[in-house]
Amino acid sequence: MVIFKNTDNEKLTLAPEGRVDTITAPELEKALKDSLDGIEALVFDFSKLEYISSAGLRVLLAAQKLMNKQGTMKIVNVSDAIMEVFEVTGFSDILTIE
Amino acid sequence: MSIKLTGRIDSNNAAALEKEIYAKLDGSENELILDMEELEYISSAGLRVILRLKKDYPDIRIINVNSDVYEILEMTGFTEIVNVEKAYRTVSVEGCEEIGRGANGTIYRIDRDNVVKVYNDSGALEDIMHEREVAKLALILGIPTAISYDVVKVGDSYGSVFELLNARSFSQILDAEPEKLDWCVKEYVDMMKKIHSTEVPDGKLPDMRETALDWAKFVVDYLPEEAGKKLVSLVEAIPYDNHMIHGDYHTKNLEMTGDEVLIIDMDTLAVGHPIFELASIYNALIGYSEYDHDVFRQFQGFDRELGIEFWKRSLAAYLDTTCEAKLREVEDKARIIGYTRMIRRSIRRKGLETEKGRAEIELWKSELLELLENNDTLLFSISELDIEANKENLMIVQDFVEEKLSKIDCSPKIAMQINLAVEEIFVNIASYAYAPVKGNATVRVEVFDDPLSVTITFIDHGVQYDPLSKEDPDVTLSAEERGIGGLGIFMTKQIMDDIVYEYADGANTLTLKKNL
Repeated sequence: MVIFKNTDNEKLTLAPEGRVDTITAPELEKALKDSLDGIEALVFDFSKLEYISSAGLRVLLAAQKLMNKQGTMKIVNVSDAIMEVFEVTGFSDILTIE
Repeated sequence: MSIKLTGRIDSNNAAALEKEIYAKLDGSENELILDMEELEYISSAGLRVILRLKKDYPDIRIINVNSDVYEILEMTGFTEIVNVEKAYRTVSVEGCEEIGRGANGTIYRIDRDNVVKVYNDSGALEDIMHEREVAKLALILGIPTAISYDVVKVGDSYGSVFELLNARSFSQILDAEPEKLDWCVKEYVDMMKKIHSTEVPDGKLPDMRETALDWAKFVVDYLPEEAGKKLVSLVEAIPYDNHMIHGDYHTKNLEMTGDEVLIIDMDTLAVGHPIFELASIYNALIGYSEYDHDVFRQFQGFDRELGIEFWKRSLAAYLDTTCEAKLREVEDKARIIGYTRMIRRSIRRKGLETEKGRAEIELWKSELLELLENNDTLLFSISELDIEANKENLMIVQDFVEEKLSKIDCSPKIAMQINLAVEEIFVNIASYAYAPVKGNATVRVEVFDDPLSVTITFIDHGVQYDPLSKEDPDVTLSAEERGIGGLGIFMTKQIMDDIVYEYADGANTLTLKKNL
């Protein structure tokens, strides 16, 4: 997995490419941990994400909990297949998906 | 006592001949041989003489019978009641091209259209008859092979002659035109599949498992006790299988004649699990020359590197997969039988008495011991992957499943859902089943028609655990209230159409079903 990262003042955009699974989820977790300091708007761009498993959902949930304290979080460009994963798990109700 | 019969025997001279023969005998002879080398014709009157002789000399033998007289003896049923030996044509193989060398003999081309297989053992007539019988059986069962039409005398030994028009062996083709590798692999594997899908009536061919068990029991004496026991039990656990295996399936035994591919050298034909075939192929292409690379060309007649590539591609084509883990799994199982056979063979040929022999045996033995530690069965199935349950193997498992799905009509969305479920279950087993030690998981993919569906089965021998017993997370809670547990299993349950858990004989079995 490659994660594209763009910081614009207090806004951070992360665009993971490929798969967020058991093996790669820790990388996404680390990318977040390293750069969330002082961030008020977190955006996940999923346009190049092909696959996300429960390991990735846990990272999103942790990020959402953190951002609830320090700002906003949204997910953009979600494919149908990944949207279904969010729906099945009830994540579509707790995440902001555009 | 040997009596020579000459010319013609019919009603005109039969009575006189009988008198003449009895005049030579005094009843004390313990054997009577009639040499028919110079006999041209024998009528029923003559045959009656022989019948009367047989009453007094039950062990009477008839030798050197030419083909005309043999035909009479055969037609009248004499070959069934009296021991009759044909006169064999003599053939020299001096200066002839050697086109194959098997366990029991060497094959030479005697002219453009004919080859002779010369048996090593001078008492080979029985072996020749055996090979003829099994080749006939194979032909009747639909395997394209050549059947010998004549038995000949070659020096002190015997040979059987086959017609092989303009034939080129796959070894020759690979040596002269290595670019035909893929074509050779395809024909080779097609033929192998045809052989392995052929059912043989019980008792018609030897059971390969019995033979392999003899190898294992021989090698046991040269292994540490535990390893030896395991080797024998692994072979014993292979069930009887009534499908044909060739037993010496290498590239010198496949012949291209015209546009037809024939398999020859049928004397090792047996029934058994295909792992035995793969073991002998591994030996021919890799194992046998693993220590001394130079013997490959002597034995197989083409380049060793190409031989290794031929093995890899043939195995992948035979198992119909490119999954490296699956290929390694089956190769390792084949190597267990393969090394066992070679160690025995080398020891019986006094390998322990030479430096090279000892080094070879040592190499095969160390490989065998390592393999015995890591394998708990020699069985394999092309729909199953047996792999260590650790997270690092996740991609391998998913690729294995995905490859199976790619062969059926399965939408990308459903493929991803199945992929997700595979991850959740496999990672669960990897994380909890055996911790803190390691263990294997079996992943099986099966496709069913009507309605079209796929099932993925996970089997592990770790702690008893039913993932379905886990309480579902409350998906209506807010982000703050939601925990991180149970999500994977919950998602799997949502995505799949049916999930069944069973625990029996120390094995957790979880079967996921998805309708397509």
